[in-house]
Amino acid sequence: MTSATSPALRTANERRRTGSIAWHVGALVILAVVLYPVIWVVGASFKPSKDIIASLDLLPTKPVWANVSGLADGISGISIGSFFWNSLMYAVLAVVGVVVSSSLTAYAFAKIRFAGRNLLFTLMIGTLLLPYHVLLIPQYVLFRNLELTDTLVPLVAGKFLATEAFFVFLMVQFMRGLPKELDEAAKLDGCGHLRTYWSIVLPLSRPAIITSAIFTFINAWNDFMGPLIYLNTPEKYTVSLGLMMFRDQEGISNYGSMIAMSLVALVPVIAFFMAFQRYLIDGMATSGLKG
Amino acid sequence: MTLVKEAPARPAKKRSAAPAAGRRGRRRENLAGYLFMSPWIAGFLLLTAGPMVASLYYAFTRYNLFTPPQWVGFENFTTMFQDPRWQKSVEVTLKYVVVATPLKLLLALGVALLLAQKRRGQGLYRAAFYMPSLIGASVSIGFVWRALFSDDAIVDRTQKIFGLDVGGWIGNPDYVIYALVALSVWQFGAPMVIFLAGLKQVPQELYEAAEMDGAGPLRRFWNVTLPMISPVLFFNVLLESIHAFQVFGSAYVVSNTSCGPADATLVYTCYLYQKGFKEAQMGFASAMAWTLVIAVALVTAVLFWSQKKWVHYEEAAK
Amino acid sequence: MGTSRNVERRTILKAAGATAATLGLAATTGCGGGGGASSDGTVTIRYAWWGGEPRTIAIKKTIALFEKKYPKIKIKPEFTDYAAFWEKFQTQASGGNPPDVFQNAVGFLRKYDKRGILLDLKAQADAGNLSLENFRNGVLANGQVDGKQLGIPVGANTMALVIDLKAFKKAGVEAKMGWTWDEYFDALQTIQDKLKIAGDTGYHGIMYLYDLYLRQNGKAFFTDSDLGFTEDDLTQWWEDGYKRVKSGLVADPKKIEQVQPKSGLSAGLAASEFTWDNFSIRYEGEGESDYGLAPIPTMNGKDTGQYLGSLMLSAFSGTKHPKEVAQFISFMVHDPEVGKIMGYDRGILATTEQYDAFTPTDANNKGVKAYEEEVAKAGVLGKITPHPSGADVIEAAFLRIGGEVSQGKTKPADAAKALFSEAKAAFAG
Repeated sequence: MTSATSPALRTANERRRTGSIAWHVGALVILAVVLYPVIWVVGASFKPSKDIIASLDLLPTKPVWANVSGLADGISGISIGSFFWNSLMYAVLAVVGVVVSSSLTAYAFAKIRFAGRNLLFTLMIGTLLLPYHVLLIPQYVLFRNLELTDTLVPLVAGKFLATEAFFVFLMVQFMRGLPKELDEAAKLDGCGHLRTYWSIVLPLSRPAIITSAIFTFINAWNDFMGPLIYLNTPEKYTVSLGLMMFRDQEGISNYGSMIAMSLVALVPVIAFFMAFQRYLIDGMATSGLKG
Repeated sequence: MTLVKEAPARPAKKRSAAPAAGRRGRRRENLAGYLFMSPWIAGFLLLTAGPMVASLYYAFTRYNLFTPPQWVGFENFTTMFQDPRWQKSVEVTLKYVVVATPLKLLLALGVALLLAQKRRGQGLYRAAFYMPSLIGASVSIGFVWRALFSDDAIVDRTQKIFGLDVGGWIGNPDYVIYALVALSVWQFGAPMVIFLAGLKQVPQELYEAAEMDGAGPLRRFWNVTLPMISPVLFFNVLLESIHAFQVFGSAYVVSNTSCGPADATLVYTCYLYQKGFKEAQMGFASAMAWTLVIAVALVTAVLFWSQKKWVHYEEAAK
Repeated sequence: MGTSRNVERRTILKAAGATAATLGLAATTGCGGGGGASSDGTVTIRYAWWGGEPRTIAIKKTIALFEKKYPKIKIKPEFTDYAAFWEKFQTQASGGNPPDVFQNAVGFLRKYDKRGILLDLKAQADAGNLSLENFRNGVLANGQVDGKQLGIPVGANTMALVIDLKAFKKAGVEAKMGWTWDEYFDALQTIQDKLKIAGDTGYHGIMYLYDLYLRQNGKAFFTDSDLGFTEDDLTQWWEDGYKRVKSGLVADPKKIEQVQPKSGLSAGLAASEFTWDNFSIRYEGEGESDYGLAPIPTMNGKDTGQYLGSLMLSAFSGTKHPKEVAQFISFMVHDPEVGKIMGYDRGILATTEQYDAFTPTDANNKGVKAYEEEVAKAGVLGKITPHPSGADVIEAAFLRIGGEVSQGKTKPADAAKALFSEAKAAFAG
């Protein structure tokens, strides 16, 4: 055992070990930089209100519970649960809408050869370039004429109508990468497009779908502009609007609760991500992003 | 029948043996295609094309949202090009795009290379590095960022070790844009995940072959990794640049909704937003929006054109 | 093949049904806007305001009082923060869908009158649905434009100087009624020398303070449709301001910027700040020191140029229920119980009924009351000068461009030119 380890092997082992240590040190340094701001938010939630703005410390010197426990009283007479429920409804409907409509559209682009496909595809990619602000007012007027303001419809209609080009694009790229033999076999078995879509392409596209679902959920959860413009009744406000209720004309009435609320608001996003994160990578990996 | 339907579109024309069936098949395909597409088509006409046409029209009018739009021809565009704040917003945006996008992508690629190695805890790191991309849009991040880049806070103190004392970035019009850049770079997780996906697909044999040829790690990266992930790189460059041109939320939140100080974080969409929604100059705002669309389209076109020179596609190689 | 087509159609129908159902579900979560009268004659009015949590909680209590007294009128509250309020309002109003009643301020009256959004409440007053009696100090005039009553004031406020009491005491300087600008800046100099902090947080970017300064000089910030001063006037004002920034008499704008949304005064960067007196409550909550209201400096040892401004309630010209809206506004500005609940949150209560009903108990409200009494006694309160359409946009521009001057990014002369050019666009909009 003593002399059996050849010097060459030993150096190789050592090299591997130092390599491994260097890897972990590097990863930990990045981790520290990445997580520092996150820890700051957590820390700030337990700082006394006056210390939060321009406070230089990462963690509170004397942690207080008032910020978090104060949330139980709600904001401006509306319970926190109500904000969360509204955000959840919005996010879930958005996810359902995007998944259903984008996958149908993507299937058509990827698997059906129909006249005008290339033109429509170019148009779809073109919508990626639009800054959404410019569409806001005309869209508002539309929904107002349909008497749909102060409902979730204006917020989720676009999701059910596949207007989120990024997700359609993602799914198209993914479906194009699926082996052709599979749907050919399905056709031979006499399956129509809907059957092929439903029992073959959709299950296989799971990674792309889950990726889209995660992004949609997060976007809807963080969306501020949409709810601001369309929702009038405070009982229908989402979490992102609830956060704004801490502001008054000059400054913010209660920094502590605002930070605590923003921390609590992050929890569902992070939970949703944690539950599905391994699919996220696969979804990206297999989308074949090959142009 | 199924066979004919299955044939790819172009060869189907040649298969004149069953022209009637082919036509019927094509008709069926068209019908199916448009049925599947119907949600998108409805959405496109109603929520995108309609409003787009409306805003294109507004761009040539004076429109304060209340009185009907008044046709003014190119007036909005000429006013805009001479407007010092518009010029400032272009300058700020270009600076942001040019600095933030490469930095973010470099970091994303570097970390992806690190994470592509099989090590313990790799999945955990990957998830943690992705975290900022999730919460970057949150309001609390505005507070955090202002705190981190203030005078005597962590960034300033670290700087002072290297003898650079600028006294905080947030209040300083010359530096605050870099706090925004930092916020963008901090969210490197999204492109990183895409890079990781690309790296996973590089065949191991290529590396082995290169190693046999005596190529060192740098050479292997340059000759194998980079060409193999160039499609993914292209995708990232494209999406990140488009996003950077349209950046709004982080500037709004970090500047405490002012896009200042002294207009130093007045990114393009922030000015568009102020003009449209604060000052109700919808005509001007629409003209701005369309100018941005054209600029981004040009950049996209250039990127697509350039990809022939540097993006390596598997299919093309075959 | 026939079967597969059937499957396809059936499944599509099913999918379409599911989509419709989800959308339908979404639709039922909203109960539509207010505005309609239901079969039993109950009328619903939408009431919108901006403000922080304390204001919202107080207003909700007053709404409950109103609904008890007028069981046939239901109030639907809508509230957001100040910045979001006007964006939302503008979007809604342009879509023909603004709230029936809303909080308003002087700077927005002409703007929305010009756009035909505001109801002239005079007709309702004549019909006996709304009382215009008992307004204190003539503040009712704040809601009048060209002979129309477009807003009914709920409170009155005035510009004030908020000072760090401890710092002033430590430096041995005192703020007194009628002091001149020279005396004021001398006091700041003493504070700077003795305490090594700046004297002021950045007075030269506050439009409403410059208005007072102009009024002291026989001008005003606005005329009916234009600016009431020259480019040279403003250049001078900003040159002085920048000089004082450089000398440290006015706090470093970089520092002021980075503590926002906290005020530079409560962050301890400077010893005084100009603001509206009813905003002074924020300093106690934010800062460590004690704060008090001090008189505005003058040119001639007497005239401060001050006037009473107002937050007010306005109504939408297209409301379906003008009578009920008028009754609601009348109740909100006259009912003593409402006054007790609201306190001085929106300024000192505008009507005698409410003013008499509320006795301030906390130091801040007592201070505000004493301040306005002192100002009134000194006989310096003047009449409010016009706020043309676009005043809100110009106020924001003034603050922003003033900030550029402070930062040394724009020369005062160029800055004045820029403000004039932006003002021109704002008046035209």
